[in-house]
Amino acid sequence: MKLNYRYTLAYAVLTFFVLSLGFAIVYAALSRSVTQATIGKLVHVNEVVAAQLRRGAPYPSNSLPTTVRVRRLATPPAASRARTARIQDEWEPTLQARVAMVRVTTYPVVGGQVYEVVSRAAVVEPSDVYLTGLVLVFAWTFVFLLALVVILSELISWRILRPFTATLCGIQQFELGQPQPIAVQPSRTAEFNELNEFLIRMTARAQRDYQGLKEFSENASHELQTPIASIKAKIELLMDSALTEPQLLTLTTMHDELERLAKINQSLTLLAKLEHFEAGPAALTDLSQLVPATEAAFADLAEMKGLTTTQHIAPGVRVPLDAALAQLLLNNLFSNAIRHNRVGGELRVHLSATELRLENTGHAPTAPASELFGRFKKGNAALDSIGIGLAIVKRISELYGHRVSYAYADGWHQLRVTFASKGG
Amino acid sequence: MKILLVEDHAELARSIASYLGQEHYICEVAGTFDEAREKLALFSYDVVLLDIMLPDGNGISLLKLLRKEGVESSVIIISAQNALDFKLTGLSEGADDYITKPFPLPELHARIKAIMRRRSAQKNNVLTFQDLTADLDSMECRVRGKLLNLTRKETNLLLYFINNKGRMLTRQAIAAHLWGDYTDNLDSVDFVYQHVKNLRKKITDAGGKDYISTVYGFGYKLSAPDQ
Repeated sequence: MKLNYRYTLAYAVLTFFVLSLGFAIVYAALSRSVTQATIGKLVHVNEVVAAQLRRGAPYPSNSLPTTVRVRRLATPPAASRARTARIQDEWEPTLQARVAMVRVTTYPVVGGQVYEVVSRAAVVEPSDVYLTGLVLVFAWTFVFLLALVVILSELISWRILRPFTATLCGIQQFELGQPQPIAVQPSRTAEFNELNEFLIRMTARAQRDYQGLKEFSENASHELQTPIASIKAKIELLMDSALTEPQLLTLTTMHDELERLAKINQSLTLLAKLEHFEAGPAALTDLSQLVPATEAAFADLAEMKGLTTTQHIAPGVRVPLDAALAQLLLNNLFSNAIRHNRVGGELRVHLSATELRLENTGHAPTAPASELFGRFKKGNAALDSIGIGLAIVKRISELYGHRVSYAYADGWHQLRVTFASKGG
Repeated sequence: MKILLVEDHAELARSIASYLGQEHYICEVAGTFDEAREKLALFSYDVVLLDIMLPDGNGISLLKLLRKEGVESSVIIISAQNALDFKLTGLSEGADDYITKPFPLPELHARIKAIMRRRSAQKNNVLTFQDLTADLDSMECRVRGKLLNLTRKETNLLLYFINNKGRMLTRQAIAAHLWGDYTDNLDSVDFVYQHVKNLRKKITDAGGKDYISTVYGFGYKLSAPDQ
């Protein structure tokens, strides 16, 4: 749920409660004031009657209103009962309905005689008439208020939250490897500025760390090459001197291990290089030429393993790829397809305008297909490879937006490079 | 033939110089940019082996300087940079060749020989070893005058053997020479065995002696039988 929707919802609930409370207060106040006004009028009527009695009006008299009853009392009431007001529901013949009836009783003293004057009047309670009107007024107020809140929250949040949205967008587009800092907008809101400052600080530090790590890994593997070269040269020189067979065997083992170390190091340097390689505006590489040429270069390797190679090459397939990287990609694909093949197996190469597909026979992979593109993941642990080729293939493809996928079915490994569409 | 080796790693420089000395080159070593510059100004060399990372400068700027001053020497860059660096950034521009560390010493030797042959185009372009001859122009190899029917890889292999005669060649060195950038498979060394086997068979079938000996688990050596 979006932030401003949540705000709106909270505000609506709040408004509803406040309005309900307001409604209750208004209703109670109205009801009370109507009753009070009626009581006030009846007290006035009683005073008028008492005044008439004092002026010597006959008792009982026809001049009195029908709603007033006067009676002589034998004993005066307690002092506290100077005036009473009573409200109760009664049948009112003149209205033909049960209504709330207010009775006000006073005890005037005229010439030593205590009278009891009771006057009554029907009160039209708000519950009867006003309630519907009041509810309607409050309901409409609520609806208008809500509509206003929804519209305003959209407008205001669009305005107020704009820097926040921009920051979100900046975070989404941020990449650790990018040279420039994260893109955020300055804002007049203190919290947003604080957030932005924090983000800028944090991403800058992450970028610095990343850069440091990158340089370290590049330099480390780079600096390793020279000592390795030196040791290798020493071993080679040593091998040409007079040695016993056990000595030679030991040297051979050392040499092989060193070779392996050098290869791993080279591949890692290469991968680190590719990891940070900025793919410029891609030059088009003619795969229709390069693929058969690579196949030819690997032909003797394939032949020695007794592989049958079939090629379907569509003419004029030009794909955005740097020529050197394209060669590297194809080398890795072909050497993989040959290495993981069985003796006397098959290798099929399909090149169309949309994809390059290499299929080869071979044993089922021992690792899950999704892991094969990782570093040092080997589909077959028995083979003496260093398991970095597919990571390189994947990285090169990613650089230019091509997609690599792998599948294994019925004894066939299939590696597919789907070219990025020219439109996107 | 005079070679200047510009390399700041003293031990590596010593090994290379010692190896090239065995191959009868006169090899001088410069450990810094300034030293190399001084030597190049004073003497002339046939080949300069140039490391890119020098403590007081960059090998590439030395190369540019050389070319600007019209020094005729051939230049082979020896660098810890990746082969891809050269291809992507044109690092080797102006150099005759490049080789990435670590490299087999025989490979360096083969590269130097190839460059020297290119420079002296009209001279003797036939390599011989005992009764084997290899014509570098026509790429024809003969044993006792009889033409061998070799594939391109086998020819390449034989040339590599003759160029490094009497030396132990590791399978890895041979693989690196034959396939170069095409493969970094460690298992391609198994294919070396096949190629060497075929080559030996073709030579003996044509009536030649088997000059190639196997050093088990290690590599091969081309040498006269009496050695």
